[in-house]
Amino acid sequence: MATIEPPATARARRHRALAPGLLVMALLLGAMAGSLAVGSARIPFAEVWDITLSRIMPTGAAPYWKPGLEAIVWDLRLPRILLAALVGAGLGMVGAAMQSATRNPLADPYLLGVAAGAVFGANLAILHVGDILGPATTPLFAFAGALGATLIVLSIARLTGSTTADRLILSGVAVSFVVTACANLLILFADQRSAANVMFWTLGGFGAADWGVLPAPAIALAVGGGWFLLKRRDLNALAMGDETATTLGIAVNRARLLHMTAGAFITGVMVSVSGMIGFVGLMTPHLVRMAVGGDNRVVLPASALVGALFLVLADIASRTIIAPDDLPVGVVTGVIGGLFFVLVLRKRTGA
Amino acid sequence: MTRSRKTSSSPRRLAGLADLAGLAGAALALCAPSAGLAAPVTVRSCDRMVTVARPPQRAVSYDSNLTEMMLALDLAGQMVGYIGHRDRMRASAQDLFPKAAQLRQIQRGYPNRETLLAEGVDFYFAGWSYGMRVGGEVTPEKLARLGIPVYELTESCVRIGRREKPTLDFLYRDLLNLGRIFGVEARAEALVAGYRRRIAAVSRKITGKPRPVVFLFDSIGRAAGTAGAHSMPTALIEAAGGRNMADDTPGNWTRVSWERVIERDPDAIIMMDFGEGDARRKLDFLASRPGLRDLRAFRQGRILTLGYNELTPGPRNVTAVEKIAEFLHGDH
Repeated sequence: MATIEPPATARARRHRALAPGLLVMALLLGAMAGSLAVGSARIPFAEVWDITLSRIMPTGAAPYWKPGLEAIVWDLRLPRILLAALVGAGLGMVGAAMQSATRNPLADPYLLGVAAGAVFGANLAILHVGDILGPATTPLFAFAGALGATLIVLSIARLTGSTTADRLILSGVAVSFVVTACANLLILFADQRSAANVMFWTLGGFGAADWGVLPAPAIALAVGGGWFLLKRRDLNALAMGDETATTLGIAVNRARLLHMTAGAFITGVMVSVSGMIGFVGLMTPHLVRMAVGGDNRVVLPASALVGALFLVLADIASRTIIAPDDLPVGVVTGVIGGLFFVLVLRKRTGA
Repeated sequence: MTRSRKTSSSPRRLAGLADLAGLAGAALALCAPSAGLAAPVTVRSCDRMVTVARPPQRAVSYDSNLTEMMLALDLAGQMVGYIGHRDRMRASAQDLFPKAAQLRQIQRGYPNRETLLAEGVDFYFAGWSYGMRVGGEVTPEKLARLGIPVYELTESCVRIGRREKPTLDFLYRDLLNLGRIFGVEARAEALVAGYRRRIAAVSRKITGKPRPVVFLFDSIGRAAGTAGAHSMPTALIEAAGGRNMADDTPGNWTRVSWERVIERDPDAIIMMDFGEGDARRKLDFLASRPGLRDLRAFRQGRILTLGYNELTPGPRNVTAVEKIAEFLHGDH
């Protein structure tokens, strides 16, 4: 967790974070470019590259590739990769903010009932309503569910006067139990064959991505992420404890509630377009802090970058392990992420 | 033709005639000058209208029962392949539809859009929970954006909220719609006419007979997996002169408690056989449970085993109705 540092050290750390930051950014761009050539259809990398360039900078030259391949690269793979990066960045950053705001190392973006609410909404759409609003139906229902559950948590917190971090988290847990039970009830009353479909949504994935899906998570990341970056000093203060934060002139309860609500909002958007993807939001901030310390001025953007890189890589794995079928990305992040983190822990205790 | 009696041996012959008529229709279609410039065709699919500009040449269908509908219309030449389990396709299709051997497996599980595009697929015949899921990456609207039209299996429309009581008309409707889409209307009409005659023959035999209550045993579990009001088996059992025990439970594939099965004590049991010893396991399960082994149908051995392709919508439904009618009313 965050430790109090003299400003000089913090500045030095920030400078020291610059080189790894650039490295991660380069890795991210490299992974995204490489990911364009990955998929069930075998397309040579040079061709993928030519297709992409021709769309970004049309030269008017006649394409030598089949039109189907152009659609695969430009309309399926590229939006899918961008979506993975956006969701990873969003979850990574929200995780960092939530952990600071609650001073709880186990806080993750799905606190405050977001996960349970989203699953409830998605179940309703997938099992009982169908695509009444077109392909956006499931995302919209999931987002409404996430938002609804968060509102319930917040009103319960207000009703019971639970403004401390621990009590907020507990309210979230309680509401999650109720909402999850209701979501399961929806499965019970549904067609058996469709029940399996719910699992595929819940385990997460980017297969449904297309250009039309991208604006919502992009806006959520830009607005929400921008807001967190603006409030990074608040988050630093909250991470030091309520007393310290109060002496620094911060209305602790109000600030915490605000940050957690903002986090829930961003997460609601992300979960609605990608399903539940564990590990990223919880673990990315810890990895980042191990490398660069606890200053949110560094941790927030770094968690976004690392989260994006991690999900782009996880999506590559999800498309290749059992190709041509997709492995749900939530399964990949759980297994690879969990093992990777155990390794990191071992290394640190060994050192 | 409608007056024909002595139907016990004629269904097969009638089916053969229907095939001949279908071939004649195909020949006519080939001779027609419009083959290259066919006008766009629009049909209803669940609650949508779907239009194909010309008969598809690189179609794909999902799993064995839908693929058998394509093969019953002799459309193998207009397909690139099928999606689903290879073994199930081989086991199911080849006795009736040898052309199944020509078809290539495109993907094992639910397809992804990339595979469909890479294969140059120009038409997808699927259903909800038959190769498409709500909120998934392959839906009619998502494929429409890529220029791939989708026709949805009528029986599966209940999963996107369309509550229509299934009858064999579902099967006829799908076959006739596919016939229009693929420009083989005459073939489809002949095929359906043959099916109608066979079903009419069955219903003549069962008129005035009592309607036994049938429990459709789909899966073992803490509750009984069975077929609800909006499932094809309900239609098949009714066409064969019986009543589906679970026809008051809405939905397609559903669950009822074992207590309810015992309480209703059905007159007969139809077991869905998924193969690989599945029917044996179901029998053992019934025999091992007090209450279930005391069911009248179990004690009297009034149990009929039918395969997946007979009980899910497809061309084998007609034979299934004949088998169920024989099973329920044959020895009475």
